[in-house]
This record gives sequence, C-alpha cells and structure tokens, in this order.
Amino acid sequence: MLSAILVNGLVLSGIYGMLALGFALTYGVARILNLAHTAFYMAAAYGLFFFLGRMGFAPAALLASLLVLLIALAAYKLLLEPLREHEATVLIVTIALALLLQEAVLLLFGAHFRSVPALLPGFVEVFGVRVAQQALLALLFAGVVLLLAWALLKGTRLGLGIRAAAQDQEAAELVGISLSRAGNWAVGLGAFLAALAGLAVAPMATLEPHMWNAPLLVVLAAVVLGGLGSLPGALLGAVVLAFAEVTVVNLVPGGAFLRTAVALLILVLVLVFRPEGLFGTAFAEER
Amino acid sequence: MTSPLRIWSLPWALRYLKHEVLALPGRTAALLFVLFLLLFPLFSQDPYLLRVLTLTALFALYAASWDLLSGYTGQVSLGHAFFFGLAGYASAILGRELGLPPALTIPSGALLATLAGVLVGLPSLRLRGPYLSLVTLAFPIIATGLIFLFPRFTGGELGLSGLPRLGQSRLEEYYLVVGIFLLSVLFLWKLAGSRVGLFFHAIREDEVAVRMVGVNTVRYKLLAFAVSAFFAGLSGGLHAHYLRVAGPDSLSLFNSIQPVIWSVFGGIATIYGPVAGTFLLFPFLEALRVAEELRMLAFALLILLVMRFLPQGVVRGVLERLEEECPRCKVKNAFTRKACRACGVPLHLEAREVKP
Amino acid sequence: MVRMAALVLGLVLGGGSLAQVLRIGVVGPMAFVQGEHTWYGATLAAEELNRAGGVLVGNQRYRIELVRVDTNEMTSVTDAATAVERAITAQRVDFLIGGFRSEAVLAMTEVAADYKKPFIITGAALDGILAGRVDRNYERFKYLFRVSPTKSSDLARTSLLLLGEVIQAVRRDLRIERPKVAILAERAAWADPLVETASRLIAAPPPQGYGAEVAGTWRPSATATDVTPELTAIQRAGAQVIFTVLSGPVGVPFGRDWGRLKIPAAAVGINVEAQQETWLKATDNLGAYVATLNTLAPAVAITPKTIPFITNFQARFKQFPIYTASGAYGALYILAEALNRAGTTAADAVVRALEATDYTGPAGRIVFDKTHDVTWGPGYTTGLGVQWVEGRMQAFWPRNWRVGDRVVSYAGVRPYQLPPWVVEAWRR
Repeated sequence: MLSAILVNGLVLSGIYGMLALGFALTYGVARILNLAHTAFYMAAAYGLFFFLGRMGFAPAALLASLLVLLIALAAYKLLLEPLREHEATVLIVTIALALLLQEAVLLLFGAHFRSVPALLPGFVEVFGVRVAQQALLALLFAGVVLLLAWALLKGTRLGLGIRAAAQDQEAAELVGISLSRAGNWAVGLGAFLAALAGLAVAPMATLEPHMWNAPLLVVLAAVVLGGLGSLPGALLGAVVLAFAEVTVVNLVPGGAFLRTAVALLILVLVLVFRPEGLFGTAFAEER
Repeated sequence: MTSPLRIWSLPWALRYLKHEVLALPGRTAALLFVLFLLLFPLFSQDPYLLRVLTLTALFALYAASWDLLSGYTGQVSLGHAFFFGLAGYASAILGRELGLPPALTIPSGALLATLAGVLVGLPSLRLRGPYLSLVTLAFPIIATGLIFLFPRFTGGELGLSGLPRLGQSRLEEYYLVVGIFLLSVLFLWKLAGSRVGLFFHAIREDEVAVRMVGVNTVRYKLLAFAVSAFFAGLSGGLHAHYLRVAGPDSLSLFNSIQPVIWSVFGGIATIYGPVAGTFLLFPFLEALRVAEELRMLAFALLILLVMRFLPQGVVRGVLERLEEECPRCKVKNAFTRKACRACGVPLHLEAREVKP
Repeated sequence: MVRMAALVLGLVLGGGSLAQVLRIGVVGPMAFVQGEHTWYGATLAAEELNRAGGVLVGNQRYRIELVRVDTNEMTSVTDAATAVERAITAQRVDFLIGGFRSEAVLAMTEVAADYKKPFIITGAALDGILAGRVDRNYERFKYLFRVSPTKSSDLARTSLLLLGEVIQAVRRDLRIERPKVAILAERAAWADPLVETASRLIAAPPPQGYGAEVAGTWRPSATATDVTPELTAIQRAGAQVIFTVLSGPVGVPFGRDWGRLKIPAAAVGINVEAQQETWLKATDNLGAYVATLNTLAPAVAITPKTIPFITNFQARFKQFPIYTASGAYGALYILAEALNRAGTTAADAVVRALEATDYTGPAGRIVFDKTHDVTWGPGYTTGLGVQWVEGRMQAFWPRNWRVGDRVVSYAGVRPYQLPPWVVEAWRR
C-alpha cells in the first residue's frame, strides 16, 4: 500500500506540477490570475491532436505550442494588458477567454471524447506498482522544465528583470525595466509551459471541450497552497495535493470520490494557519 | 414658490420627480426599470417571458449580494454558490422533514446561509486577495462532496425534487420574486450608501488605514459576509422552489462564476451595476437560443468586447458619458446641460480664443 | 427582443402549414452525443411516419413537426427547465420526448407536469424519475413515461447477468474456483443499490449467487479524470474481474488506464462511454476487451425491426445509434400509435392510450408498468452485453440464457473472450 501511495502520488505530482508551473509564472510576474491557463493547455492538446493527423510528432508538437503561444500573446496584447488596473475585469476576461476557446473547440471538433497516442506506450513496474511510461516522462519533463525556468530566472538578465518586476513594479520601472516587456515574457513563458503540459499530459487525459475545468481547480489549489508567484511553491503544492488524493483513494476506497474535496479541505486548513501559502511572501505593495 | 412644500405631498413628489429624478439619465432609467418590472404583466403574461424575467430578478439579487461582499469590501468570493445552494438544500430539507411552507423554510435557509457566511468569513479574515478567493472557491466543492457522501439525506446527484411551488401561477410567482428582489436590492443599496457601506469601501481600498483610525474591520468584514450570504441564500431558496429541485447543480463552479460575470459586466461596487448586468446578460443568453450552437460563443465574445472597451462595467461606462459632476458643488448633471442644475456654474469650460 | 425572436421563430416554424400539424419537442443536450442521437432517432421516425402519410387521429391526418430543444442540461439545470417552458409556451409543442441528465429531467418534467404535456423520457435511467411520482401523485405526473433506458434497478439486473457470464469464463478458462471481483462504481445515488446487490450476489453461494469473493469496492467520482490509484489498488487486491458501474465521463479514463497498465482483471458491467462507437478512438485503442451492457449491437437482431433501424440510421447519419436514438425512435412510434388509438390529441386521452402500449421496437418490446416505466424481462426489453474485440463492438449476451423453461438467444451473439493479458497473468 505504501509503495502504491508513493509511486502513484509521485506520478500524479508530475502531472499537476507541470500544469501549475506556468500558472505560477504568469501570476508571479504579470500579476494575472489567468483562469484561461488550463484552456491553453486544452488548446495545445487539441492542436497536437489536429496536427498529428497530418505530420510527425515533433513538427506537430512544435506547431501546437506555437499556436498556443500566439493565442496567449494576442490575448495579452489585445485584452489583458490594457485592462491590468481592473483586477475583477481581468478575472472575467480570462473566464470569457476560456469559454471562447471551449466553444471554438466544440465547434471545430465536437463534444466527442478523443485521445492522443502516447509518445512512450506501455508501462513499467516500479516497486511492484504499474506506471505508464508516459507518466514517468511527464514527471521527468516537469523536473527539467522547473530547472530550466529556474536557470532562466536566476541566471539571465531577462530573468532578473522578470523577478524585479514581480517584486516591486514601480521600483523596477524606476531602474529602467520595461514592465510591458517583462509582462510579455511572463505571459509567453506561462502559455508555453501550459502548451508543454498539454503535450506531456495529453496522452493521459481525455480530449473533450470541457477538459480544462477539472485541472483548473487543481492548478489553482496547488498554486495557492504553495504560495502565489513562487515556482517551487507551486510544485510543492502540486505534490501535497497529489499525495492527499492518492492517499484518500488507498485508505478509503469507498470514499475515492472525496479525493478532490479532501484535497481542498487541506488547502483551506493550510491557509488558515499560513495565510500566504507554504512558500509565499507578502509583498510590500500588497500590504 | 409661494408656500413651502410639505414633504411627501403630491406637489412635492411631482417636483422631486421632475428635478431630482427626470433630470438625470441614470435615475430616469432606474425609475423606468422599476415601472417596467411592475407593469410588465399588463402587456404580456406569456409564461416563458415571465419565467425569464423571474429568473433574471432572482439572479440579479444573487449578483447584487455578491457585489456587496466582493465589490465593496474587495473580498472576492469565487464560491458564492455555497450560500446559494446551501439555502436551497436547507429549505428543501426543512420542508420535507417538518412540513413547513416555503414562506418559512426559505427565510430559514437564508438564515442558515448567513451562519455559513460567518463561518466562511472567519478563516478568510487572515487571508487576502487571491488566497481568499481560492478558499471560498473550495467551499461549494467540499459541500458537493458531503452531498454525495450522504445520498439518503440529500438525494445525491439527483438532488431533492418535488419542492412546493412559490405561488399558484407564474404571475403570482413573478410578483413575489420581483417584489422580494426590489425590496432586497433597495436594502442593499441603502446599506452600501450608508456609513457601513463607506467602511466597506474603505476596507477594500486600504484595510490597514481603516484599522488605524480605530474601526473594527473584523466586525465589518464579517458583517459583509453575513449580509451577502443572507441575500445569496434568499435567492438560492427562491430559485430552488421556483425550479422545484434543489440539486448539486446549484453548487457547481459555473453557478459560482455566474454572479461574478454579471456583476463585473454591469460594474462592481455599485449594487445597481450587477442588477443591470444580470438584466442585460441573462435575457441576452435566452435570446441566443435561436442560434444554439453559437450561443456560448457569442456570449463569450460579447463579454470580451464590452469589457475591453468599458472595463469599469457597462453601467458605469455609460453613466460616465451621460452624467457629469459639477466641478464646484459635486452635484450630478445630465450631459446635455450647459450649467449645473444646483449652483449654475458652467459645466463645459471651453477654451475661448483670446484675441489680441 | 426575446419576444421578437420567439415571434419570428414561431412564424417560421408554425406558419404557412395548411395541413394539421403535431408539434413534438425533442429535448436534450444537443452539443453532446446523447442529445444529438435523441434528435437523430426522432428525426428518422418522423420522416418515416410523414412519408407514410402522417398520423391518423380520428379522421384527421396530422403531419409530424419536430422542434429541436437544446437544453444545455449538462451545464445548467435552470437552463434546461427554461428551455422546456419555452418549448411549451413559445414554440407551442404538444408532446415532449428526450431528456438525459437525471437532475435536469426532474426539473424539466415538473414544468411539463404544470402544463399537462405528455413527456416520454428516452435518456435518464433513475428509478425515482417515475417511481414515487407517477404512483404516488398520479394526477400530476401521469403524463410521464419512459421507453429507454430500462430503469437503473433493471440495468442492474442485466449487468449482474453479464457479470455472471464473465465469472463463468474465469472459472472455465483460468480454472479459478472462487474468483475475486472488485467493484468500481461511480459515486452516484443510482449506483448505490447496484453496489449493494452486487456485493451480496457475488459472495452468495450458487445457484442464487455466484460463489465468488468481493475484493473491495472503489467509488470514484463520475467525473474523475484519472483512476490509476484505484486500478493499482484493485490489482494489488488480486481481483480477476472488475465489475464497473460507470455512467459518467470517468468511463473513458478507466478504459484507457486499464488497457495501458494491462490490469489483470476482466472489466464488465455498465460503462456508458464504452457503449458508443467512438470508444476505441476515445481510449486510443486501449479500451479493447472492455465489456458493458448496451442497447444495440451491430448485426444483432433483437426484434425484426432492429436491423432495418440500424441500417437506415447509419445510412442517414453515418453513425452507429446509441440508446437515446433507438429510444427516441421508439417513443415517436409509440406516441403516434397512441394518438391513433385515442382518436384525439387531448392529453388525458392520449395518456390513457399510451398506458395500453404494446409496441415492438428496435430495442425490444415495450409495455409500460404501473409507474409508466418499461417492463424488463425476457420477451420485453433486457438490453445486451457487448464487448470490444477485434476493433469492433461484439455482442456476447444473451446467449443460451435460461429463464424458467425458455432459452433466450439472439442471432449474431458470440461467446465472451477474456483479455489475453488476464489469461496470461492467471493461467496455471
């Protein structure tokens, strides 16, 4: 039982973490609570599905991520950036954006369930627990992406600018950092991560126009649990949620349907005792 | 004026109407809106139209209750369906177990929602911004889990059906709901305009500053939660009895997001904004039934476009163009006026060409 | 604006027809396959009936006109109830058929009962939609009928018979005397009695029970998107059979993960997603060997009307019909025959005529019981057991099904096959 919890929990963490990273990045830098994040992930999955019927995996994956990047940047330039001062408005604009993508997918592909073949089919046994190879790939992917994002943010000038903008927008502007450029990068990277998540996770998900709903909840919970804007926090939040869910299924099989509810209950409890999340810091401007 | 006018006398009312209501486009629209709602059945008693208006009024109250909490105090609730759905369930269960009529069970359900509001509000006191929103988001989902845990009591995924009707006919139900809606919104509007409302505003703008001047912000935040939850519960109870089903659908994420969309569309922190937003969007979505496949697409596009160009919401965006404030005495004036209706100061100071 | 739209629509739909017209609302979530097939099934029947000269009521011939009512019931129950009221009042339909999500059907039928409009349900399975309403409050709810699917307690009976078939196969092919059965049932009120009965029956000694062992019961959410932890636990519990009770979208991740991880336990029971032609596409072909209860299967003649219905349906819509299609098709014929017998379109008389229905349709013979529900049993409607083998849906039940002194078998039914990896894992 312990090994089952451990292995399944880890695999699920990879999937959740992959989804949460991009969201955390977008919020951390551009201060946009992007509820369309998982809709971008859906767009990538459908993009992959569409292009795979016409070409090999590599070009299809590339085209799908470019498509998502394009949608995200256009949405940012045309809709989100001009509205940044109106927080509530940004919130529902992102909801409307997600709805728009959902309906577009519905019109183009219909409501039928579809699937994308796995890059690595089959399974391996880890401590006697069967794990899909694709799931391990996603886990690996999540780790690599986290490291790359880390390197970018800590090791480059661009990263410095992004972090400065995240910490104190006015001060950053005073020392000559272009907020709009930093925002562009953050939104672009965030959407790109959503697209990568779509490519990595799509073979383990069912493609349908409402597929963005369930992961959105998980992403929001993970990111808030870990502390908004913190990348390692987002990953940690994903790990906590994933293990909570897997433990519920293993300990109370008759209550497996409660896994989301229990995970959210943990979220509420954690936040009551640590209101800024596990890794979050309170910024001066927000006090 | 020969003799002073007695307040509430007919000539006074007429004068008030002329100078204080009809003089301003916003107030005129509000008056016309109320008259429209009250007189609509004289022109049509089509049950479908009555149903759409009844549901719109019901949801407008729901949106206004969200606005009191989230628009005014800035505690953005993404889980308002918790209060809405809880009250519906409570009313249904009270009716079933004790055999009480809706006239008693709906207020009881709303009171229970109020209690829930305080309970949700308590952990939220420590939380701020998105953290608070996410915690509120969690509550209806946890509640849904509980509903599925006790299907014998709650009906599981089916919900509780066969609730008693609100009235004998669609017309009766219409007037009941519209009456409650108008009175409740009036109350919310008065509350928001009172001293309490001022504190709500201030808490959103700078909570620390408000605390510094000696205001107990905890009490006001809990008050906002309680009042908002009460009216959300009231509309939830009415909704359950109108549909005669209290089901898990009332706790769905969709139902939590809806009041946010309506309110932001109309303009937050106004009370009338959410009402207008609901009365624009809900019937619009109904009218779109003629194009079923494009319905949600058109809905999403409309929201995107309107929000892009009127980010403060439709009502505020439009009113800002129709009314302007006198620079000297701060009285509102219709945009057509050249001089302030109260103090006579010219409103448009055009740059005059200075001749040498 | 709403009024204008309704008026214009009313003119377009209702105006200009000189012959007498019967307006029938077809309700369902039209963006989803269940709603779409309700519409298709009804369309096929309406076209056939109209081509044959319409419906004779008294001495007046009526042409059938279908009104498509998109309920959006998956997202909003409020929307669904409003759509029905709009159909009845603004679009002036006299009869309604369709409905899928149980919670929404409850709300919609309340509206129909308010207006005393007959409503024939073709998609929602819950017992409580009729039982407890039609019998206890006959005057209000006598307008409700159901032709498909059979009520959930009857779905339970068929699915347990399918389970018996698979347990037999395990005994025969794997030589395991007391197989272990894991129950994987979505958390839903309709599934609860089924879980209870199944647990009792599996463990009870034959001939009443199956003399097997319950390995455990897992209850995921109907909308779960991942059931790997459940499947891992089932594998570790040493089950040879998984009895599935899944009506929601969770059926797809189940089939996919089950096939990808090659869980060594045969899956049988109810999996609504596996009833559809798109199953293999939805699961990336990993859902092969999944077995489920179904209403129709290719090339299986339940009644003489089955094959012609399937052929015509496929020719017209290029898809294999699901149960809402055969249900709506049957419902329209049942309604037409009842109108003909009643000799009037007055609702109360039509209800009396509907109660006397004895109609043989594509999915079986339909006779209503006291609660206006479909009668289950051999010679009436029972459903089929199907399995996904060799890239297609293949029926495996009823085959030599003994009930009392009769044996039920349909042509085109072949024996159940255990998944090869299950055989490999357990064969001694």
